[in-house]
Amino acid sequence: MNRARYCLLGYGLAVLAISFIHQPLWLALGLLTAVLAAGPARWSLLRRALLALLLFNASVSLAYALLAGWRGQPVWAPLLLINLRVLLLVFLGFWLVDRVRLLDALRGWPLLSMVTTLTLGQIAVYRCLLDDFRAAFRSRNPLPPRPVTVLRHAGAQGGALMEKALHGAEQAAQAMRSRGSFDG
Amino acid sequence: MHIPDGFLSPQTWLPAWGVAAAAWTWAGRGLARRLDETLVPRLAMLTALAYALGLIMLPLPGGTSGHALGVAVLALVFGVRLAFLAYSGVLLLQALLFGAGGITALGVNALALGLVGALVTVGLYRLLARFGEALAVTVAAFVSLQVSALIVALVLGLQPTIARREDGTPLFFPLGPEITVPAVLLPHLLIGVGEAALTLFVWRLARRKGWVAT
Repeated sequence: MNRARYCLLGYGLAVLAISFIHQPLWLALGLLTAVLAAGPARWSLLRRALLALLLFNASVSLAYALLAGWRGQPVWAPLLLINLRVLLLVFLGFWLVDRVRLLDALRGWPLLSMVTTLTLGQIAVYRCLLDDFRAAFRSRNPLPPRPVTVLRHAGAQGGALMEKALHGAEQAAQAMRSRGSFDG
Repeated sequence: MHIPDGFLSPQTWLPAWGVAAAAWTWAGRGLARRLDETLVPRLAMLTALAYALGLIMLPLPGGTSGHALGVAVLALVFGVRLAFLAYSGVLLLQALLFGAGGITALGVNALALGLVGALVTVGLYRLLARFGEALAVTVAAFVSLQVSALIVALVLGLQPTIARREDGTPLFFPLGPEITVPAVLLPHLLIGVGEAALTLFVWRLARRKGWVAT
């Protein structure tokens, strides 16, 4: 088993353990330990985790605070527990991805590895194409375009984007074919 | 509309992972033979489209997010098994790369969005195809999104009942179904219109190119 698989296993066990911890103090200690152990990337990982869950948890926390306050139920203790658990889980997920290559961790599952490889490749292709289209659209519109123009552009370019993405994926698949990925 | 990490009790997510693992095994059986250099690029392209759609999301107070899925397109073009597998991969990547969804919630999300979404789409499409393809595709995409949204809302809404302290305070997701069902379903009625339009657009493209399996 390679290092990435060990990390994946450790992450899985940590996630399982966290689900059974219902004391905010222990979760806070776990978060503190994870942040300290994450090394130089700790603050960027923490910031990413906070940003990822901010909107979700804020909306849920606010709804619960209003409801529990109205019903006269405890507000802060459940919210602290829930938010700490979510933050710790998201932080651990980002830390895992930061420390290991996902494809190394998935090496034992050929089908999952192949789908992940292709999807990651396509994500990169889409990102490049969208940047190209956005830049081209801006260069043709010196003034900010009207919403109707943006909508018309999006509709026309949607088909072209998919054609180009398909072409990119076909090239990737041909490259995989030449390397024997579809053999056996 | 996937559920984030940490909102589901282990009494929910552990059995869901078990059921999802069995479903992944079923879906993956014999798949290696189907995947070749013509199918794989189409699958990769539409899977990436589903991935991109899932990232344009609006958080909802019901504990999830509102966004189009792309599952209906995957199901109509590739069938239920491949759509389920591909969408599970999308959920995994979104969870690990963006913290959208999560590992604990992956089983429930994959079953509710990937498997049920694909089954409802294909089932409804076959049922309604005699009334016209455009109608069948549109209704199938719209309804499948609503069914998935309802399941997600119910699973979330049951958490305060499934896992709570003796004094009644919740241990995981804190809001009941009286909040989650309307909070999740109402925005998805609007999102469903977009999902249906997008599905029809991609479906027509796929038909023109002769990709369709159903």
